[in-house]
Formats: sequence, C-alpha cells, structure tokens
Amino acid sequence: MAQTPEINYYILFANYTHGLALQELLSRNHLPSRIAPTPRSIQGKLSCGMSLLVKSEHIDAVRACIRENQAEYYDIVPLPCQIQPRRDKFC
Amino acid sequence: MIYLDNAATTLHKPEQVIEAVADAMRSMGNSSRGTHSGSLAASRTIYATREKLARFFGCPRADHVVFTCNSTEALNIAISGTIGAGDHVITTDLEHNSVLRPLYRLQDEKGTAVSFVPADRQGCIDYADFEQLIRPETRAIICTHASNLTGNLVDIARVGAIAKAHRLLFIVDASQTAGVFPLVMEALGIALLCLTGHKGLMGPQGPGGLCLREGVEVRPWKVGGSGVQTYNRSQPPQLPTRLEAGTLNGHGIAGLSAALDYIQEVGLETIHAKEDALMRRFYAGVTQIPSVTVYGDFSGERAAVVALNIGDYDSSAVSDVLSQDYDIATRPGAHCAPRMHEALGTTELGAVRFSFSWFNTEEEVDAAIAAMREISQ
Repeated sequence: MAQTPEINYYILFANYTHGLALQELLSRNHLPSRIAPTPRSIQGKLSCGMSLLVKSEHIDAVRACIRENQAEYYDIVPLPCQIQPRRDKFC
Repeated sequence: MIYLDNAATTLHKPEQVIEAVADAMRSMGNSSRGTHSGSLAASRTIYATREKLARFFGCPRADHVVFTCNSTEALNIAISGTIGAGDHVITTDLEHNSVLRPLYRLQDEKGTAVSFVPADRQGCIDYADFEQLIRPETRAIICTHASNLTGNLVDIARVGAIAKAHRLLFIVDASQTAGVFPLVMEALGIALLCLTGHKGLMGPQGPGGLCLREGVEVRPWKVGGSGVQTYNRSQPPQLPTRLEAGTLNGHGIAGLSAALDYIQEVGLETIHAKEDALMRRFYAGVTQIPSVTVYGDFSGERAAVVALNIGDYDSSAVSDVLSQDYDIATRPGAHCAPRMHEALGTTELGAVRFSFSWFNTEEEVDAAIAAMREISQ
C-alpha cells in the first residue's frame, strides 16, 4: 500500500527580505522553518523566489505568530511532498 | 603617507572590515537568487545589514533600507523617483554635484523649478530663506547635512521642521556625516536619507544606501533582475526590491556590516570627538600662518574638514607639493561643489581640502601644519 505523502506548508513572499524577516521572527519564537525554493506549482503571480517550508505540526503556531506580529507574507500553501529520494523503495 | 582626504573616502579601514569582505568573497553566492547555502549566506548577511542600518539611522523598517552603489545613486533614485514636471524644489549652494546634476537634469528635461538657498562668503546659509522660497508647487527640500568643501554643518533638525510644517518631502545627503554624527530619521523629519558606506562609515567602496520613511512613494530609477516575480513585466512593487534591480554588492555589504559593528563598539560620540579635536588642532595651527586663508564657519558643530588656500597659489600646486615633498594626501580643485566655490569666491584658485578621520593622529596633524608653514614661506 502506498504511503500517504507528507504535507508541507509553504509560506510565500513578495521578496527575500520579507521571507528572512519572518524566519527571524519564527526563530525568536522557537518555531522551526526552512528556507526553500518555491515549488513551481504554487508560485502563482509571484513566480520564483524563496519560501519558508513549515511542517504540518507547526503550522497552526506559525499562523498565530504571523497574526500576532502582523508579519508580511503573500500566501500559505499546503503541498504534498513529491520527492522522497531516501524512501524505502522495496516495500 | 599621511592620509588627509577622508572626505573623499576613508583609506584606513578597521581590520575586521577587510576580513569581512575577504570572508564574504570566499563564501557568498548571489543574494535573493536561490536557496542553497551560498545564496542564503549572502541573503542573510544583507538582511542583517539592513536591520543594522535601520537601527543606526532610526529608519522605521528594515525593508525600507535600500542598498545602492553610493550616495550619488541614492540621490538619483530619491530625486528622480519623487520629483517631476510641475514640481518646485528648494536646495542650497552647499550641495555636491550628486544633488545638483540630477536637479539640473530635471530642470532641463522636465521643466522642474529649482531654487537655491544662498551661502555667504563663510559658506553659511540663512534658514529663513527656506521659508521664503516655498511656493504652492514646492514638493521637496533637498540638502546636505555638511558641506564637503567647508565642513559647515546644516541644522537639519531645523530644516526638517520647516519641511514638516509645509508638508514637503525632506531629502538629506548624509555623505559627509553618516557614521560620525547621530542621524535619526524620524526625529529629524527626514523622508529620504541618502548615504554612502565608504566615508565616515568606514566600509568598503561600493555599497551605499537610501533609507525611506514609511509611506514615501519612490518610482524606481532602474529596473531589471530581482530574483523574484520573474513573470511580472514590472519591477516588483514591494520594498526594498522595488528600488534594487540587479545583483547587490554582497561582498561590500558584508564589509559595511562589520564597519557598523566597529562603530558601535568604539562609539559614535568617541569617533566624532576625536575627529573634531584633530580638525580643530589643524585649524588652530594653520590660522597662525599669515598667508593662509581658511574657508568656512568654525564657531559651532562642524564636520572634520578644513579648506584653505595659501596666498594666491593654485590649490592644485599646493596639494601636489604636499603629496610629492611631504607625502601628505589632500584634495585640491573644486570638489564637485561648484556653487559653494562660487559663494566662497574660490572658483579661480580652488581650495586645498584637509579632511580627518578616526584613524588620523595628532602627530599627523602637526606634520601637516609644519608642511603648510614651510610651503607658505
């Protein structure tokens, strides 16, 4: 049986400055995130640039942190993890 | 060499600035161009430097700090991005060509009206003139914080208050004062602060900056690559990307970041006090030489610059002798400040400019005084 793919949340930004500002804010609030290229499928009007990848277990706290601090961002988009090179290919 | 041309650029940099540039050249990719570690190293350094500059200059938001190549580029962006046809601008005789030429171009190409607050023979202005020159169509006051020729300081708090009272944009050229004098945008009523990193800030040549007050709309002066919003036909509207087309000088910005740290460690007041003392020691020495004429007002706060002539000697000849026979670096000529020279009556001779930095010493100042005494005999 195929495994259900993990859902990642991508926070999109108009530019890197806003992305770096939010990552700094999240870091101060002990909320993990990773800078990642924005997947083509969700770029929409923004097209290319950086996003913050947040795991599903942290997304509610991240949304709350953004709201409380009125942080700049463009969108938050859930996306199944497409590529898992280290998955167990023989199961 | 005794280097006394710090108003052009500070030749001696803190060691940590040099190391930061070298480290950046070994490790940085292109900022805002991807998410691999090299690109992020550049993006993070640049972001951290924006934050430092915002704190340093009382700019309300880090994303309102725009990196430029120098003050000239910052001033071109500020002037061409806010002023157009039908507008009137007030500026002063103290200005550098980095203010004058963008304004003259607007005059010639768009019919923008420009009025000048005149300087007297000492290079001083009458602040009442700003009020008197205001018209219904006046859009902005643009002025330097300190003359690059005389070192005379402009009371920008006073000018900022006039601009605020009349709802005018206040654009300040802080080329000669950033890193040496406290500059807090909000407190001084500055809408657009233009600066360079390689003079008083003691950073490398290359990065400069434009700090914007929130809500000030500036049209992009250049457009192009931004690393984001590729399929948008226009420059992205969000700051700082709106005003930063093309690859930033990440290596230089890393050096500027280290320079800001150095200034914080030493203290702005300590740096200013030392430069001021060196400048006044030199002034006291050269004013004892009968044939020396010193220009400018030394009665109050001023930048660490002394401009002078010896009798009717050509300033270039004096500067050349200082360089060739005494290994003292100064700047002769017109200093890109044509209206200031006209006001001082020095368009023929030019002037020899001595300018001092944190890294100069009393011994160097005394050697320069002794050289001046010998040349004037």
